[in-house]
Amino acid sequence: MNNNDDAVPGSPRVEAIAVQRRFGDVTALSEVSLTVAPGEFVTLLGPSGCGKTTLLRIIAGFDQPTAGSLRLNGRDVTKVPAHRRPVNMVFQRPALFPHLDVASNVAFGPRIAGIGKAELRTRVDDALAMVRLDGFQRRRAHELSGGQMQRVALARAIVNRPEVLLLDEPLSALDLRIRLEMEEELRRLHRELGATFVYVTHDQREALALSDRIAVFSGGRIEQIGTPDEVYNRPATPFVARLVGDANVIAVDAAPGESNSSVIRLGDVSVLVNGKVRGPAWLVVRPENVQLGLPGVAEALIGTIVDVSFRGTGFAYRVDIAGLPHPLKSEVPGGPPLAVGERVSVAWLPSAVCLLERDDQHHAGKIGLNQQ
Amino acid sequence: MVSRQRSPFATAVVIASLLFLFVPLLVVVLFSFHSVGALTLPFRGFSLRWYREIWKSDEFRTSLVNSAVVAAATGAVTMVLGTLAAYALSATRSRLRAPLALLLFLPLTLPGLFVGLSLLVMFGRAGVSLSLWTVAGAHLVYVMPYYLLIAVATLQRLDVALEEAAADLGATRWVVFTKVTLPQVWPVLMGATFLAFALSFDEFVITFFVIGPESTLPLYIFSSLRRTVDPSINAISTLLLAITLALFALSFALTTRGGRDQALAVPVEGGRREQQ
Repeated sequence: MNNNDDAVPGSPRVEAIAVQRRFGDVTALSEVSLTVAPGEFVTLLGPSGCGKTTLLRIIAGFDQPTAGSLRLNGRDVTKVPAHRRPVNMVFQRPALFPHLDVASNVAFGPRIAGIGKAELRTRVDDALAMVRLDGFQRRRAHELSGGQMQRVALARAIVNRPEVLLLDEPLSALDLRIRLEMEEELRRLHRELGATFVYVTHDQREALALSDRIAVFSGGRIEQIGTPDEVYNRPATPFVARLVGDANVIAVDAAPGESNSSVIRLGDVSVLVNGKVRGPAWLVVRPENVQLGLPGVAEALIGTIVDVSFRGTGFAYRVDIAGLPHPLKSEVPGGPPLAVGERVSVAWLPSAVCLLERDDQHHAGKIGLNQQ
Repeated sequence: MVSRQRSPFATAVVIASLLFLFVPLLVVVLFSFHSVGALTLPFRGFSLRWYREIWKSDEFRTSLVNSAVVAAATGAVTMVLGTLAAYALSATRSRLRAPLALLLFLPLTLPGLFVGLSLLVMFGRAGVSLSLWTVAGAHLVYVMPYYLLIAVATLQRLDVALEEAAADLGATRWVVFTKVTLPQVWPVLMGATFLAFALSFDEFVITFFVIGPESTLPLYIFSSLRRTVDPSINAISTLLLAITLALFALSFALTTRGGRDQALAVPVEGGRREQQ
């Protein structure tokens, strides 16, 4: 299905330009723009109903945008039907053809493309080998496990050598153990195929583990696009901070500090943080960056432990701090655990937190920013 | 839950109903094999003489062939038109879907007398001379709703994701229909076609109105009853019963088998596709 005839050299593989999709009065996507480079693994991450699947279906050709356009290789494909796009999709459910065996399922695409018998066979065998299902050619869908079915669905898509592989929450129906195994397989496939992957998930852990870049969706918009590191360590909005990983998000007022820093008040203590924000702000601190120590240091934040839970690699705490509306989350590697009721000093490196501008009207109401 | 106790009265009613339904059938079948001409007991032994008798009758053979031709034509046309209509009905998101479905299923509720009479009037007005073809046309009206009920229910149960997957793999709408949709439902559609054939084969009321000079098997039975009552009528009825039962059994086997295959087609739980 490689349809490169009028591809524009040097253009991005996928380009969504101000794509909008309305269902009646509901706006599923409002003016979303996204560019995916050749060979990139981009994840569309967000809660259900955020528009990520709608965008994927528009790229696949199952849905048309109500406004905006879509380009593949620089060519406008907004009106091109699904069966003529050089993309293939792996669905949430495997959607294998029940009347065909594994080999015929995989051969479906190449057969339509008119691939000759001899090549068809090698292609199908290669694709099945790629997903480690050698020898499963004659099986029927109902004889396979959930993980195996999804592998067949993967083989059925990659056998067409798509320029873009679309994956719509392909692992969400699988058990955790199989899911982790499949994540590894997906990374390997992406390396070996060199194809462009656009992956939809609501699982932030999957997104961080798999992607070159993550586009975080909320309410039909993209909140932030960035590498996993950027999205995790420098979230653009409190929403992103909370969706990707765990975070303490605290409403503060920031005052100017020395050079490139700000001073905020937390309870009775002034704290210095990196970043130049003035006025209302959100302080974002990851629990693993909240260090607990023995009290005694003057000018330090002091709190009382109200909850302890074991996390395998260490312990998770909740620390009540006078003047803060909710206890602070902290994760400390190793033990022994501190006891509930113990008083501790709370500290973090100035570089380990971020300060985001706070626009109360815009965010607090919409996302419901309470400490969990 | 209220526990249900077995009441002797209820048991008696069930047995009486079953006897009432099936004893006449058994009597007809039994006497079709009677060795003598008597239609009453005592039963004097088995023979196939009445079957040989009717086979000698040209009128019987012609009406048997007529019935088969009409039923085959009705079945074939129903399958083609009904499948297309059912596919359209199950796939469309048009607002006309519900009224259209109502119109298509409506003949199910109409009395045969009414359908027969109105078709007779229509054929007369249109200047169509009555023949086996008008019978087949009338039967088409009669059996179509039954076919559609089965076909629409089956097609609607199909997983949309399968058709999307096929389109994604490069299949045009026609290829999706022939390579993905039909292979999953053809046993059910064949079963529904046999049902249409069976319904047409022993239809009497509508046929009576719209037939020309020819005769079908049910009409032949009716007219021979008016002439003489002779055990050969039992043989003919038994034949009709056997053919119809065989067709219904075949239809039932195919439609339920198709249903089971369909259950396997959706191995992972999950409703229709997510629409964000």
